[in-house]
This record gives sequence, structure tokens and C-alpha cells, in this order.
Amino acid sequence: MSTSTIHDLGYKRYAGTRRDAGTRWRVIMRHQIAMAWKTWWRFKAWLGMAVLVSFIAGAVMYIFSNRMFHGMGRVGDAALMVRDVALPQSIAWYCRAAFLCSLTLGATIIAGDVQSGAFTFYFARSVRPRDYVIGKLAGLGAIMAIITLVGPVLLAGLRLGLCSSMSDVIDHLWLLPKAFLVGALATCAYAAVPLGFSALADSRRTALAMWAAYYLVGGTIAIMIGRISHTGWISALDLPTAIEGVTGRLFETPVLGGAVSHVSLAEGVGSLVVQMIAAVTLVWINVDRSQKSGVGGST
Amino acid sequence: MSLIELAGLTKKFGPIVALSGVDATVEGKIIGLLGPNGAGKSTLLKCLLGLVPFEGRAEVLGISAATHGAEIRDRVGYMPEQEAFLSGMSAVELCTYAGELSGLPRTEAMQRAHAALYYAGLEEKRYQPIDGYSTGMKQRVKLAQALVHDPELLFLDEPTNGLDPRSREEMLELITDLPARRGCAIVLSTHLLPDVERVCDHAVIMHKGRVRFVGSIDELRGARGRLGELVVEVKADPDKLATALTAAGATCKLLTPVQLEVDLPSAARNKLVFECARETGVQVRGIEVRRESLEAAFLRVIGAEEPVPKGPAYREAAAAR
Repeated sequence: MSTSTIHDLGYKRYAGTRRDAGTRWRVIMRHQIAMAWKTWWRFKAWLGMAVLVSFIAGAVMYIFSNRMFHGMGRVGDAALMVRDVALPQSIAWYCRAAFLCSLTLGATIIAGDVQSGAFTFYFARSVRPRDYVIGKLAGLGAIMAIITLVGPVLLAGLRLGLCSSMSDVIDHLWLLPKAFLVGALATCAYAAVPLGFSALADSRRTALAMWAAYYLVGGTIAIMIGRISHTGWISALDLPTAIEGVTGRLFETPVLGGAVSHVSLAEGVGSLVVQMIAAVTLVWINVDRSQKSGVGGST
Repeated sequence: MSLIELAGLTKKFGPIVALSGVDATVEGKIIGLLGPNGAGKSTLLKCLLGLVPFEGRAEVLGISAATHGAEIRDRVGYMPEQEAFLSGMSAVELCTYAGELSGLPRTEAMQRAHAALYYAGLEEKRYQPIDGYSTGMKQRVKLAQALVHDPELLFLDEPTNGLDPRSREEMLELITDLPARRGCAIVLSTHLLPDVERVCDHAVIMHKGRVRFVGSIDELRGARGRLGELVVEVKADPDKLATALTAAGATCKLLTPVQLEVDLPSAARNKLVFECARETGVQVRGIEVRRESLEAAFLRVIGAEEPVPKGPAYREAAAAR
């Protein structure tokens, strides 16, 4: 008797309840996070970078808490303390970590699934296109949130801890929701937009190249045109500029990179939302189309 | 309840008619889905899994594919022809994930993943990344992931593609054992008629978007069998028997050193063979009505202008409509 036959002796048909089809996105999200965690270069390296940024920014806030900030001018006539500027300044670095993570993970997700035939794997089961899209977005969002949301919120908490009195704490409580808002915007942007690019191509490399070109080359061109024409919304097409612009307006502090000075809050948020919606729509259309052709060969 | 019921199933892609008013009632344990390229097999599978909209009626396990595709996909398994893996995963991870995506709780999915991989013969290799598997092992993983959620019906698309003779034989054995050991029926879509002959008890033959035959393999092969056309197996000396039968008006042809193909005269019966055998002292070990090979039957069916002949199941369904 073979091993498989022996193993089969205890076999019984599954008679328990099956989970509702509406829960499939959670399975996909959990899988996405587990796969990202598996290798050091996909996520852990950039998580390390985000931790380092948080550590350095936190150390600067703590060590130089009573010093004045002298970099890149002031907003109005207000004198800025280093402890107030460290958080908004660090956003650019979180964005860099998020971009690197999008290169190793986000920009290749759907193209990778197309390339490996995973659509057949998914859609031969009771997975609907919306389960797939929401699951992938939520998974990537959770990963990005650890990089771009947790750090700023922790730094905001640290800034509150450096307050000298309770009234000072109350005065600075607004830091928490603002840090959360900036972190959430960055999370959504760095999850949705690379995912959109990953749905544009059938190969990982092409998707990766397109996303990198859009971010690095397209972003630089947008900044240059925006600067020359003094048009904030064009500059805001560059993702980090839009996020840093929003950060600068919310925290009323200058941030790294001079291009953001003419990006208004509305332009920054608007640009991010438009790019996210466009990306999710693109993903939706491609996944829905792939579902119809992904099983049983092409038609 | 039939496994699959189709009535007036039509699927068009723009001006191209992929399925044209398909009617069929499919029953059996292992059903071969046969047809040349472009016959509509893949489109039929998509319709049955509820992945594409269509006209007409299609029911799988009594569930409407038009409205309850997700429910069907929870109860059937699909083994694709092409590779459908997620890179960087081991076989046990992939099968567990497949089970969870089909609605099983995580612990149950993991247990059944191990069981399915044992069944598929991958017990030793189940923790290794699939990327490094051979073609034969990948085929086994595909079978295991299709089985993991305990489907009542399995769709296998070219399961022996790219396998060496030994692996092919092992895969066919696994497929043959499935209905008894897992209690599921199988629809085997393939171009390889020897595979169908080896494992299937029923067949559905498609051609140009239409079903040309539905019924048992015996019906398919025996449809042309005539009582006077025989294959006679003897212990030895078939020449002697052939000479005697020829003298009695039959036409004989030696197939193997112990087998004769015999066409009896129109008025004669099997008795003539035994009489001639007794006269010549030849021991007859077997006698059966000669049937078409599956290949010949297949070519005949797809060559027919009209969708005839069909098995009784089809005729009943057509009469009911």
C-alpha cells in the first residue's frame, strides 16, 4: 500500500461551512503581506529604511529640541523650532522608502500575476474581480502604511512627548491627525499608483520600467514645467512633490525640495486623488477583462 | 441530477459564434471532452464556470452558471492546461491558499492541502518552491490545487501535456482513481484519444461550436459495430481457422499471431466460427463484435454534417425540450 493510499484512508469529504465569497479579499490581502514579508529585499529593507528615518528624525527632535530651525527660510514671521520641523522634513524620506518598496513590490504585482498565469488560479475559484482588486490594494496599502503612516504618527507622538506642559500638549494635538492624514495620503498614493502601472503591462520588467519612468522622469518634467509656468497643479503631478506640498501646507513649515512652495493644499490633494482614481480604474478594467479570458485559454 | 445540462447554449464574440445552440445532458464518472482546436471546448468551460455571459441555459451540478457562477466555482475544481502558479511559493503554501480562496477555513485548508499533495504523490517535495519543479511535478501540483477544496466535479484541461510516458501513466492512474477515492466526477478536456480510451467512460465531442456526440465510450465505438464483423482470438494456428472460415464464405484478416478479423457472410452467425474451429481443432479463446477505434469514431463524428449519432442521454434531453 503506497503512502498516499495510507494517508487517504482517513479522508473525509469536507462538510463544514464555507466562508462567504465577500471574505476572499481578506485572504488575498493576507497572502500579499505574507509574500512581501518572505524576502528581505521586497519589503524588509525599506521597512528598515523607514525605521532608520524615524530613528534619526526622533533623535534630532530630542537632541535639538530647543534649537531654532535655520534651514530654507521661514513661513511668515514665525520662528520655527527644530522639533517642529523634523516631522515634515522626514516625509520626503518616507516617500523615498515607499518608492523603493513600490519598485520591488507594488509595480510588479498584477504584471507578475499575468506573467505567471495566476489569474487562472484566482478566477477558476469563487474570486471576483473586485475581491482581487480590493485584496491587492488592501495588502499593498497595509505594507505601505507601515512605511509611510506609522513613522509620521510615531514622530507626532514623540513631538507631543517633548511638550513642556499640558497646555502645550493640547496646543500641539493637531499634529496627530495631520500626520495621520499625510501618512494616509502617501500610503494610498504609493499603493494605488504603482499598482495601476503594474496593470498596464503583461511583463514585470515592462511594468517596472514604466512606473520608474513615470515617477522619476515624468515627475521631474512635471516639476520643471510647473516651476517655469508657476502652475502648482502641474508640479503636483509629481507624487512626492504633491505629498510634500500637502505636508508643507498642513504643518505650515518649509519642507525639503523647493518645488513644493507653489503647490497649494487643494492642488496637492487633488493631484493625488486623481492619480489614485485613475490607477484603480485602470486596475479594475484590466482585471475584469483578464477574468473573462484567463481561464481555459484565450478566446 | 445530471452533472451538466446545456440547452440552447450560445456564445458569440462579436461576429464569431463560439458556441452555437449547444444542447447536452452530461453524465458519467470520467467524461472526455473532445474536439479539434477551435471546437469551443475552452469557451464551454468558461461558460460552465460562469466566467462569461452567454445565451441559453447551462447548469452544473444543478446550479445555473448564468447566475451562480461563484457557487459553481466553489464546488468544482479546475486544473488548467497552462501554468497557473504564484511565484515564490511552495506546493503546500499554494494549495493552502487555493483552499482558502475556495472558502475553507485556514486550518482546514492546510490539512487538506497536505492530503491533496499526498494524493498527487508530492509528499516529499511539498515544501520546495514550485519554481524549481519538473513538468511532471508541476502537473501534480495543478491536480492537487484543483482537488484541495473537495470539489464534486473536476475539470482537467490536458492533464498529461508534456509528460514523459511514465509520468503520463501515473497521472492517468491518479485520474482513474479519483472518482472512487475522492468521490468526484471528472471532465477531461484533451486532444489525446488514447488518454480518453484509457480513463473515460463517457465522451462529449465538440466541433465548430456544436456538440456532435454525447454518450458512453461504448456507444461511441459501438455505434458502427455489426454483429457479423468480429474479432476472434485463438490459442494457436489462426491460419487454419481463417482457411476454414474463408471456405465458408467469410473474409478473414490476421491481426496478431492469435487474433483474426472476421467478416461473416450476411446470413451467417457466430455459430459458424465455432463450427469451423471444431472442424480444424483450433481453440477459440475469445470472440467479440468488432468496434471502431476511438480515433476512427472521433473522425467519423466530427466529419458528420449533422450532429448524429448521439447517446440516449442526449436524445432524452432533446425529447424533453
